[in-house]
Amino acid sequence: MLATVSSATLLGVEGCAIRVEVHVGNGLPGFSIVGLPDATCREARDRVRAAVVSSGFKWPQHRITVNLAPTSVRKAGSGMDLPIAVGVLGADGQLDPSLCDGIAFFGELGLDGSLRRLAGTLPLVGAAREPAVVVPVACAAEASLLGGTRVLAAVSLRNVVLAIAGQDQWSRVPGAAPATEQDPGEDLADVRGQPVGRLAVEVAAAGGHHLLLVGPPGAGKTMLARRIPGILPPLTRAEALDVTRVHSAAGLELPPGALVLRPPFRVPHHSASMVSLIGGGTTQIRPGELSCSSHGVLFLDELGEFSSSVLDALRQPLEDGAVVVCRARHSVRLPAQCLLVAAMNPCPCGGDGSPAGCRCSEAARARYASKVSGPLLDRFDLRVAVDPPDVSDLVAPDPAATETSATVAARVARARGRAAARGVRCNAAIPGRRLDELAAIDGASRRLLEHRLRQGRLSARGMHRVRRVARTLADLAGEEGAVAEEHVLAALALRSEPFAPSRGVA
Amino acid sequence: MRREPASAAGRRDDEAAAVALCGLPGIGPVSLGRLLSEAGGPAAAWEAVRSGNLGRPGNPRPGIVPWAVAAARIDPWTRWEAAVAGGIGVTWVGRPDYPSRLALDPLPPPVLFWRGHLEVLDRRCVAVIGTRRCTPGGRRLAWELGRDLAEAGMCVVSGLALGIDGHAHLGACTAGPRGATVGVAASGVDVPYPRRHAALWQRVVERGAVISETAPGGPAQRWRFPARNRVIAGSSELVVVVESHSGGGSLLTVEAALERGIEVRAVPGPVHSSASEGTNQLLFEGAGPVRSAADVLDAMGEVRATGRRRPPPSPPPERPASPPGDPARGSRDRSAQRGSGPPPAGQPRSSRRDAVGPAGQGEDPRAARVLAAVGWEPTSLNRVVARVGLPIAVVVAVLEQLAALGSVAEERGWWQRLR
Repeated sequence: MLATVSSATLLGVEGCAIRVEVHVGNGLPGFSIVGLPDATCREARDRVRAAVVSSGFKWPQHRITVNLAPTSVRKAGSGMDLPIAVGVLGADGQLDPSLCDGIAFFGELGLDGSLRRLAGTLPLVGAAREPAVVVPVACAAEASLLGGTRVLAAVSLRNVVLAIAGQDQWSRVPGAAPATEQDPGEDLADVRGQPVGRLAVEVAAAGGHHLLLVGPPGAGKTMLARRIPGILPPLTRAEALDVTRVHSAAGLELPPGALVLRPPFRVPHHSASMVSLIGGGTTQIRPGELSCSSHGVLFLDELGEFSSSVLDALRQPLEDGAVVVCRARHSVRLPAQCLLVAAMNPCPCGGDGSPAGCRCSEAARARYASKVSGPLLDRFDLRVAVDPPDVSDLVAPDPAATETSATVAARVARARGRAAARGVRCNAAIPGRRLDELAAIDGASRRLLEHRLRQGRLSARGMHRVRRVARTLADLAGEEGAVAEEHVLAALALRSEPFAPSRGVA
Repeated sequence: MRREPASAAGRRDDEAAAVALCGLPGIGPVSLGRLLSEAGGPAAAWEAVRSGNLGRPGNPRPGIVPWAVAAARIDPWTRWEAAVAGGIGVTWVGRPDYPSRLALDPLPPPVLFWRGHLEVLDRRCVAVIGTRRCTPGGRRLAWELGRDLAEAGMCVVSGLALGIDGHAHLGACTAGPRGATVGVAASGVDVPYPRRHAALWQRVVERGAVISETAPGGPAQRWRFPARNRVIAGSSELVVVVESHSGGGSLLTVEAALERGIEVRAVPGPVHSSASEGTNQLLFEGAGPVRSAADVLDAMGEVRATGRRRPPPSPPPERPASPPGDPARGSRDRSAQRGSGPPPAGQPRSSRRDAVGPAGQGEDPRAARVLAAVGWEPTSLNRVVARVGLPIAVVVAVLEQLAALGSVAEERGWWQRLR
């Protein structure tokens, strides 16, 4: 007897529909799975057999062949345990195979027949072409995010088989995301006496400009960076689905209600490998931290300690907003639209990097600075020095200088709205050729930039980046039209050269 | 072979031999000095080395080329001719043109190479030295000391290094025709080190001399620097340390000077500044303080012809080259543009005095506030903005104006008040 059951497998952050064909025929009793299963998928044999028996069904004493079609796609993970089990029961006649038509099955089986959570439910359900899906109850909320598909939640294999036949109830699908505000994180009001740092994070959030914070240990670099998600606008539904899809595929824990509503904030340790950051893997391509922080913040603390090859691999995805990971059998496109925020010390001695406070030799400082390649450094539109605040700012802060995240977030949202009205995702993404149209500058600003170019204090490429930042500053100030000189000055100040070598004379 | 008057031919033989002797592997001032004194002159010493009569003291270790073998590979004449073609002079202890003060040194450079005008070393010499990692303020003071001391007729001796040394030379080069400056190099006099200072070397050669005990073409080996420092000390009557980290190389020069009984003076700096740790320690230990060139001249017993005890506090309006306060970014024409370019449009000339007045009663009250917030130590923009309490764009605009006037200087995002 033959039975065919629908399911899907993960390719990167997308699902790929799979037909599970099960044949139970004469021959020596045996059970084989063909169609490029990976190790976890092949182990389904033992899990399925035990689960079927534990659930009170009969294991057919025949030759069982499972084919996963299309056979050219590598199948990964344990999500096909349930469709295989249902297929075996259908092919053996313990379940009417026609009842499975129009239903896709997903779920990992325990040896006792219970259904377990699986990674990537959202993209898998998205790939299923059937009007209904059966998923473990733990994934039901996630599966119902897309809408349009009827979600049938089950707790065990027996529950599935009986409910299909109408002899049991499906489990209740948890209601759609309770729209409770998820923890916004720390508040910007806690930051004392960092006017430049505060402005930098605000501009970074408003314009999507990558930010490099340079300062001695304890200056508050991490403190500032952690507050960026709090001032980013909440994700739109489409963005939230994108982020949830990636997080789900990466196997990250999803918030209650399954939908990620706050911009993600990811902090990989500096020992991260290239694959863990960019995405990849041998049998299954898992999205890396870069993709997991899409629409949010990727924070690289101690930037200088990351391996330089890993850092340089970030350059192209940051520019393109996506990364195409290629392996011999397949290639997948992963999202990479994140805001890169990095922090590092100015030099290895632990001083504040000032000409008076640093004990490093010129060579030691140059060596330290060379850990971050010039092209990567160039990707940071904002490079600011952060130093510990004056003591007076800590004990008696100026209340006017400590805005809350909510105030700043409102300005950021308005600025983002202005950028969107211009038809760009964010100001950092304004193409160079449209700068004159979208980020025009007035005569004084033009003279200022020309002066800096002539002095050699600004490169042509740097000028473009400064103009985008200036546009964001004008947006934050609520000014339309040509960007005024003050914003260009501020943009120039937010792009310092913290690693410039000491100067010779003449 | 060469038909010359006997004395001239003998001198050439000696010069060629001196060049060749310095090219022997591993030869330092001590062994070279002993060779010369034992043989009685460079030509005789070279003959003795070649014939194997004089060699390395003690048993040469295996793997080390004996001097006799090394000498066989050296042609003194090609080396001498190359040196002459490069405008390099050579002299040695005992020759009349050897600098008189160095000749009295306990460990003088046995053979001295020079480019420029060696005789300026016989003037009153004062060493202005300090760290390579200096603050904008220290850099500016070094430049002022170099200029004012040279203006007073002194020869400013320093080490041609980045930072304080280079700016002392540069200041001396910008002084009037009476000024002179001598750079003591650790590498050969034709091997500019650091290479960024190649142009400075040329200017020092024109306004004085670059001297070295390293043979022409020789690299700046590590051990050469402390040896060079003793030559700086030995050529000077007084050593002024502008800025030094604790344990910095300038303190080796100080040590050499104190061993020789040469007076050392230091420029006081902020107690929190790492670049002034060494100098403040010297002051604590009893070195005399230096606030300006006048203090140095006083210490040297110079009375200025004008009768004025102090030179004018601010530099003359027409400054010939990039002043140290203004960051010279990498290349020469950039620094020239930044340093001597006209102030930005809309900046009235009269505001100069106002903006820099100590009390700060200027037309622009913001300038005074910003100046006060910057202070005399390197201060981050972050802190300046926090102290002033104005928008960052305003603060930056004022800072740029002040920098164009030379009141503040910026380095790697750190601002410091200069006057």
